[in-house]
Amino acid sequence: MTHSLHRLGSVEELRNDYVLLVTPAIGFNHEGKKAALQKVVDIVFDVGPNNIASIEATGTIFTGTTKEDIKENIHDKGRVRCCFDSREKMEDVIRRLAEADLGLSITVSGLIDEVVPMARRAGFEPHTINLSLGVHGNTGCLPGEKVLEITTMCGHGLVATKLARAMIKEVKAGRKSLDEAAVKLAQPCFCGIFNVARAKQILLEADVSDAD
Amino acid sequence: MRIDDNVCTGCWECVPYCPVGAILPEDGVVRVDEEQCVECGTCLRTAPCPSGAIYEPDEVYRWPRSVRKVFSDPKAVHKETNVPGRGTEECKTNDVTGRVKRGRVSVAVELGRPGVGTDFYDVERVSTALAQLGVRFEPCNPLTSLMEDTSTGRIRDDVKGERVLSAIVEVETSIGNLRPVLETVRRVSGELRTVFSLDLISRFDPDGSIPVLPILKEMGLEPRPNAKINLGAGRPLCTE
Repeated sequence: MTHSLHRLGSVEELRNDYVLLVTPAIGFNHEGKKAALQKVVDIVFDVGPNNIASIEATGTIFTGTTKEDIKENIHDKGRVRCCFDSREKMEDVIRRLAEADLGLSITVSGLIDEVVPMARRAGFEPHTINLSLGVHGNTGCLPGEKVLEITTMCGHGLVATKLARAMIKEVKAGRKSLDEAAVKLAQPCFCGIFNVARAKQILLEADVSDAD
Repeated sequence: MRIDDNVCTGCWECVPYCPVGAILPEDGVVRVDEEQCVECGTCLRTAPCPSGAIYEPDEVYRWPRSVRKVFSDPKAVHKETNVPGRGTEECKTNDVTGRVKRGRVSVAVELGRPGVGTDFYDVERVSTALAQLGVRFEPCNPLTSLMEDTSTGRIRDDVKGERVLSAIVEVETSIGNLRPVLETVRRVSGELRTVFSLDLISRFDPDGSIPVLPILKEMGLEPRPNAKINLGAGRPLCTE
C-alpha cells in the first residue's frame, strides 16, 4: 500500500530522495508489457539509479543483481522499482519516460513541491496523490528519529531498528566505512528503493547516542 | 523461522537483522521467539549465517501461521489479490483502474508500521470502528478476506493472535465522509498497543489542486511534505 510513502526526514534531507515505480495495471493493460518494462529499465540505467531491483530477479544492485538480470526476469505483470539521489536525475527519467510514451503507470514518491512541477514540465498532468498523514498510536515504542529515517527507506519494514543502531555504532567506532555500513543497511530491502547515498548522509550526521 | 541449535555457532551475526527483534541469544546460541517472529524471511535471505543454521519449517505455510508469511514477506503473493507485498495496488495504477474516483477518497491505516508489527486484535479495533461509518473495505486488500463480515469489520477468530509486520485497513468513502473517518481513527489510536502509519489517497482536481487539503487543515492534520504521486501516464487513462 504505502511502500515508498512514509519516508521520514526533513524537507532538506528529502531533496535528494526520490522513488520511481513503473507498473502495468494487472487485468487492465498488462498483456504484452514486458518489452515496455525492459525499456524502462534501459532508461533508468542510462540516467543512473541510486538503487534498483526486481522482485522477479535475485535482488538489488547491492546484492549482485545486474541490469541484464532485471531485464531478463521481468515479465508482463512485473514492476520496475528504483530510487534516485538527485532531483535532476529524477526529472531526467520522467522526461525520458514521457518521450517513450509506454502506457505504463508511473508513480514518483518525493517532495510534493518538487515532483508535481517536474511531472508537468514533462507534459504529465498528475492524476492521484497518496498523502502521508504521519505515524500515530503507541508511538512511545518507536526508536529515535535518525534510526527511523534509515528504516523507513524500506517500505516493507525489512530494515531492522537493531541493524540501523548497529551500523551507527560501527561507523562511529571506526569499524565500518560509511559505504560498508550503508550497503549492509540496503541489503534487506530487496525492492531496491533504499537510498544508499542518503543512508550514508544519515550515518554521517548521526551521533552515537542515536543508536541507544 | 527456526535456527537449528545443533548447527548454530553462536556468532550472533543474524541477531540485528530481525525487523521485530525475534532472534534472541540464549545459552551460547541463538533462538527464534516463534510468538514474535512474523515470518518475513529477512534473516534467511539476508543475515550472514556462516553455518547455514537458519531454516524455514513447513509449518510456516500452514493455516493460520501462513497469515504471518503473506502479510510480512513481500515475496509472498496473496492468493486473493495476486499482488505481492502488503497486497494492494493503492494509487500505483489508479490512472488506469479508476479505483479511487473524483469525489472519493481511500484511507489506509497501516498497523504495525514502522517496524513494530501487530496482531489482528489491534487491526480489529480499527476495522470495527470504521465499519460503523458505512465505509467500503477495499475488496482487493487481503485483509478484507480475513474479515468474518465486512459490515462489522470483525476479523476471524483463528487469525487474531497471529503477528505480522504490518496489515492495512483500507477503506474507500466519499470526501464528505472523510472527517468522521479520520476522527474515528484518531479516537481509536489511543487504544492501540502498536503504531500505525496513516495515508490518504485522492484524485487531483481538474485545476491541479488537492481537494482533501482544506479538510485536513480544518482538522489540524498536516500531511508530510513528501507524497506518492501517480503521474497519469497509464493508458487507457481513467478520467473519472
